[in-house]
Amino acid sequence: MGDLAIKVEHVSKKYCKSLKRSMMHGITDIARNSLGFSSHSGVLRKEEFWALNDISFELKRGETLGIIGPNGSGKTTLLKMLNGIFWPDKGKITVCGRVGALIQVGAGFHPMLTGRENIYLNAAILGMSKNEVDKKFDSIIDFANIGDFIDSPVKFYSSGMFVRLGFAVAVHCRPDILLIDEILSVGDQGFQIKCFRRMNELLDSGTTVILVSHSMIAIERVCKKTMHLSNGRLKDEGETMEVIRKYIGNIESCNSEPTSTIDKENPIIFTKGNIKRTNSQIDLELEFQTTISIKNPNIVAILWKGDVRVCNIVSGDTLSSLRSGRYKVKFNVGNLSLSYGHYHVSVRLRDRLNPLCTYGINGRIVDLFVKDNSEGMNGINLGENGIIIAESDVNIESI
Amino acid sequence: MNLVQSKETMVTYEPDNSIKKGYLSIFKEIFNELKSNQWLCYQLFKRDFLTLYKQSFFGIVWVFIFPLVSVGTFLILKGSGIFTFGNIQVPYPLYAILGIAFWQLFATGLIATSNSLVKAGPMIVKINFSKKSLVIASFGQAIVSFIIQIVFLGILFIYYQHMPSIIILFLPVLVLPIILFSLGLGFILSLLNGIFRDIGNALSLLMTFCMLLTPVLYAKPVSGTFADLTNYNILYYLICVPRNILLMGIMNSKSDWTGFFISVVLSLVFFTSCLVIFHLTETRIAERV
Repeated sequence: MGDLAIKVEHVSKKYCKSLKRSMMHGITDIARNSLGFSSHSGVLRKEEFWALNDISFELKRGETLGIIGPNGSGKTTLLKMLNGIFWPDKGKITVCGRVGALIQVGAGFHPMLTGRENIYLNAAILGMSKNEVDKKFDSIIDFANIGDFIDSPVKFYSSGMFVRLGFAVAVHCRPDILLIDEILSVGDQGFQIKCFRRMNELLDSGTTVILVSHSMIAIERVCKKTMHLSNGRLKDEGETMEVIRKYIGNIESCNSEPTSTIDKENPIIFTKGNIKRTNSQIDLELEFQTTISIKNPNIVAILWKGDVRVCNIVSGDTLSSLRSGRYKVKFNVGNLSLSYGHYHVSVRLRDRLNPLCTYGINGRIVDLFVKDNSEGMNGINLGENGIIIAESDVNIESI
Repeated sequence: MNLVQSKETMVTYEPDNSIKKGYLSIFKEIFNELKSNQWLCYQLFKRDFLTLYKQSFFGIVWVFIFPLVSVGTFLILKGSGIFTFGNIQVPYPLYAILGIAFWQLFATGLIATSNSLVKAGPMIVKINFSKKSLVIASFGQAIVSFIIQIVFLGILFIYYQHMPSIIILFLPVLVLPIILFSLGLGFILSLLNGIFRDIGNALSLLMTFCMLLTPVLYAKPVSGTFADLTNYNILYYLICVPRNILLMGIMNSKSDWTGFFISVVLSLVFFTSCLVIFHLTETRIAERV
């Protein structure tokens, strides 16, 4: 085994769609197993389907793996199998070391018990020993930071407090392998930062982490390798950036269709985007088509990192009025340093004098992946409402 | 040090895992699991205990209400002449309440264990923990009620100035067979209840019926089909016989002794096989519960 943490060999899991059938299958399985027969779980019976199909991967100690994919692709099922909650129907899973799973925070809490009582209960359920809890008790209360409420029944907690306490217990487990299912998005900002800091501590101490998330930012932040599941199958696997880029491209190809038709409702459409980055210089090219003429056009391109707005790139008062036709606009941002991560650009065309009047909009016209942090200062201005505006040269031509 | 320890633990999950390993290793696995989860078991028991009467006005008084109402009902039935108890040599309330204490240990224990997995369903699908500990812990409540009732009975013994047999010192040994029987059955029913909710619904109904069928509140009938039926009722030997020993010191008949010993052996075998079956199949329950 050596430094192997997790080994998954051709694992499949089947589910049943119908409740009544599921009952019958369940009782057959139990009967067969208790009589010492094999349950022939590798064969599909009536109304069953593979929720996970032939998944294989290996993870070494201290590695981090992200799992992404649309809803229903089998991410949580895989996590639950790694934790031993569900057992594979085909294949084999080998896990070395103590596993801590954060599938739902506070799952073992009893609403009638006080926070204090629940800490002991939940810790025991998560596999901690009495000594461990006694030792870490103060640290847990400290981390949760819910004040006097620690002696009130958990059912009187706000949902935030509930989660804080649950997370506080869970992160004190000191697992060798930590499985996390989409829970870092809970709690307020301060608590989230605390959670990430704690995660980093765990990572530094050599914990193997598997993170299931829809937040690409969280995945990028934590995971070196990423797996993309789709319909229970392993669609893609490799370096996080690459997998995410393909995954996003995938979503885009099915989402961007509706905006590509031009009609009365959408007099202006953005048809194409192109972005190039060399060091701290960014060249953004946008093509759009308009069926109406616009007097005071203002093109606003917003650079996003996940759901965080990095800066606006605006054409300002440089554009003269436009007649109907096709145009290509080029922004040249001279000095904008970006850190590792993946970005996308949304764009809108609106009236310069009346910002509430938007003619055309595209929520995600182009993606940008930054693999190396660029050096240097940002040439930025603060615009209205504190929005950061990147200085740029603009030029527009009719095509 | 913790890290060094945990590095040695390696778990594999694959279909029909236990069958491949063979039956002998199963006993070792079960033993190790129960041993290493003692504290978890205690915590789960404490949870049940602390929460059972927490939002209740009468609280722990509920433990006494069931035996008092049952005994009261039978006293009324007797007073109106509908029902005769048969030949009982000790004060009836002592006989009945001790009998009900034993019965309750079996019945409430069985109902609690049977519902334990279903009740913890949301937790089972989110955290991997020892399900055996959960089932065992849920039996704890029945034991606590039993102890409380025995203390209450102590007062009754003084009131009626009746000395129980010296065998009462071996009470824990006497109740062990019925506990094992109930727990074993509970293991199986908790699994089945996870799949068919019918089990939980039918159980409380069935319990009342079984209690009337077992001579808990009346003396064992001397003749007739009912007497024959009682001769083959394992609950009679595990509940009524120990009760009679406690109250009267000796047993009425030799057949009771043999029946008692056979039942004790049966309950041990039954408990062990149920535990093994539970161990073999518990991995299937999370996806169905």
